[in-house]
Amino acid sequence: MSTIREKAAAAVRCRKAVLESGLTVLCRTMPGYSTVHAMYGTAFGSTTREFVLDGKKITLPAGTAHFLEHKMFESEEGDAFSLYAKTGASANAFTSWDRTCYIFSATSRIDENLDILLNMVGKPWFTRETIAKEQGIIGQEIKMYDDSPDWRLLTGLFRCLYPTDPIRDDIAGTVESIAELTPELLYACTDAFYCPDNMVLAVAGNIELEQAVEACRRAGLDKPVTPHTVQLPELSPEGPIVQHELNFTMPLNRPYFALGYREQPIPRGEVKRELICDMLSSLVCSGLTDLYRKLYDQALVNPEFGGDYVLTRSACAIAFTGESSCPREVAQMVRDEIARLRREGVDPELFTLVKNQMYGELLTVLEGVEDAAGQMAVAFLKGVDLEEQIATLASLTVDDANEALQTMLLPENEAYVEITPQ
Amino acid sequence: MQRKQLAPGVFLTALDAEKFNRCRIAIHLRYPAVRQSATDAAVLSMVLERGYAGCPDMTQLSRRLAALYGADLGVDLMTAGGDRVLSADICGIKQKFALADEDLVASYADIVFGTVFEPYLVGGSFDPEAVRIEKETLRRRLQSEYNDKRLYCVRQARRRFYGDSPAGIELYGYLNDIDAVTPQSVKAEYDRILSQASIDVIVQGADAEPVAQRLLAKLASVRRAPAGVTALSPVPAAPVRHYTEEIAGLTQAKLCMLFTRDKSGELPSIHVLRMAMGVFGGTATSRLFRNVREKQSLCYYCGSSALRAAGVMMVDSGVETANIEKAESAILKELSDLCARPVDEEELEQCRRTLLEGIDSVGDSLAGLAGWYYGQIMRGEPLTAPEEGKAEMCAVTPRQVQEILQSYSYSVCYALTGRGEEADA
Repeated sequence: MSTIREKAAAAVRCRKAVLESGLTVLCRTMPGYSTVHAMYGTAFGSTTREFVLDGKKITLPAGTAHFLEHKMFESEEGDAFSLYAKTGASANAFTSWDRTCYIFSATSRIDENLDILLNMVGKPWFTRETIAKEQGIIGQEIKMYDDSPDWRLLTGLFRCLYPTDPIRDDIAGTVESIAELTPELLYACTDAFYCPDNMVLAVAGNIELEQAVEACRRAGLDKPVTPHTVQLPELSPEGPIVQHELNFTMPLNRPYFALGYREQPIPRGEVKRELICDMLSSLVCSGLTDLYRKLYDQALVNPEFGGDYVLTRSACAIAFTGESSCPREVAQMVRDEIARLRREGVDPELFTLVKNQMYGELLTVLEGVEDAAGQMAVAFLKGVDLEEQIATLASLTVDDANEALQTMLLPENEAYVEITPQ
Repeated sequence: MQRKQLAPGVFLTALDAEKFNRCRIAIHLRYPAVRQSATDAAVLSMVLERGYAGCPDMTQLSRRLAALYGADLGVDLMTAGGDRVLSADICGIKQKFALADEDLVASYADIVFGTVFEPYLVGGSFDPEAVRIEKETLRRRLQSEYNDKRLYCVRQARRRFYGDSPAGIELYGYLNDIDAVTPQSVKAEYDRILSQASIDVIVQGADAEPVAQRLLAKLASVRRAPAGVTALSPVPAAPVRHYTEEIAGLTQAKLCMLFTRDKSGELPSIHVLRMAMGVFGGTATSRLFRNVREKQSLCYYCGSSALRAAGVMMVDSGVETANIEKAESAILKELSDLCARPVDEEELEQCRRTLLEGIDSVGDSLAGLAGWYYGQIMRGEPLTAPEEGKAEMCAVTPRQVQEILQSYSYSVCYALTGRGEEADA
């Protein structure tokens, strides 16, 4: 075990500083690399829709976190893209269900780029006019996703599995919901969630921790701040699944389907349960399994067929998705395989192979500057670290998987979604 | 770093990979595209990926790769002007990370060389069962194109644009040809590729010498007649053709505009072309991004790209159906403005900075570095380090950007909209 920990530590090589403001800075220095990738993230995503800020209850329309992400690039002086254009950095941002992250990649003028990143996120500026302008672009983005069967499938599945959790709403919201946004609402979000102790700056590549910390100092992020009081709603158990099946049509030439399972939310920092979640879909139907082989050879699924999981503060779901001419047949075969594994147990050899594969994937992630910074930031926002992830993975046994199968992927927590060609 | 010739049409390039956790071996076979056997080549790439003589079973191969800590084996096809490239590459963690001290690199080499040079044959042809299964997979893959409307729009536009040009031969073949594919026809295509291909092996993070020996041993019994690079004629300039396909239930219209560079003679410098695309629509500082997306809010995505050898420039965009004409006009206006007067120095410098940063970061991924050098090989250029590419990028002038954009003429516009049936307009 100590060997695994040593190998994990050698592979990860992540340094950390927590500033007096509460901001956590993570750095993976990668000798020989030219690029620096920085990710500045907050644990505020599309599923945060209600909170109490300094005693005042705030309710957000769907799509607020994503809208805010777009608006963060603007300041009174202009937009951050034009500032990055002067340094040559490549910049972007993304919003998921439980986080919003701002990123840049650059090989030079790193201090300037860090200043742009930290100041752009640290000094929000919203007006009714700029909000109105952004609604047009985001409306186009929403419509683009409306034409994506993969995306529609996932949002349809969440609508079935979660009668009330905000994960059931699209990350970008709707044209109508984002029309409700005001500068006041957006400022309430930045006051509540864009405070240093809710954020992480993760950098990887040709950079040292001290350089990143110094940039935080320049941006005033080293001093203690008087935080607003923020209360998130208590996690309440989700009611029973009322809709176990959903069908709708799109202009496709073959059905798309999703078989999903609602699982118990995983408390922050519980690495083992998340790894098991990640592993289960591979044990059921990855390319290593006889089930996948059967489905593939009988032309029932495409190579893209597979399983994955989604995890937020209040939700955890495992989904098997694909494209098939016989979607119900495939879904039933997946159900049967889950039942068989629950009954007979997982083949220990298959378990070891899946574990090996996941170990290799974790090492692969650490090889690229983007993935390394991203993985460090995401792990931190989930309350874990990469070293611990690798060591915990190494300690997993087939008994852990068999035990999990007794309480996970249960028929009563299942929903099926099918998109039929128009 | 040097591209070493091992035999006629057979080369090996070894690249440093000290800083990476993984190592990689890639085998590229560049061969002339042929319309009649394009579907055989597509099936071939899929059959090769299933297994080889030493490990013919697809699931067992997946398990073997997983046992090697999730080593990644890929077999794919790529377009290179009038040629196609069949590539097999394997990437896995370095020896020092092995938990049980297995000989990982030798296993990687066994698998990737086995995949390309030791196919699993039954009675001298490919396994009929594997061919049957992969024909069906290919059929579904080709049909799936319609489900991704952005991709579908681009491909429909390209089909109209290229017509019968060799550049337009479909990389993954043709639905109508699938039924005629047989184990024998796949084997014939395999033999043709092996015989005619220019073979490049790129080794990163592994000892090149044993790889070179292995490569020569594999080719010792192959009758080789490597072909030169297929010459391409550009698509002739002609009045623009507009097509509209209406699809019930489509939420956002898609627009693809193709331009031809109808010039004979030397192909343009890749650096000038990249700069031109960067200024026009390839970066967040480009005219299309700043003016068509940000200022006019006409679309969420609107970008340009170009294929040097095929002489085509493309703009694709997602727009409101009602705004298609407006978006088309706005895109053409941006191009026209850039053709009318040279871009100012500051705008060019912004684009140049972004592209230079991109070149700087090439060496930070195994695939990026290998792609840099194999790109030069495909263009027939001597191998030069990214640093030299930066120097060439720095020398690009506003006038060169203007000239290259002026050399394109608008050829095909394909739009997908939200109603009715296909009709030529």
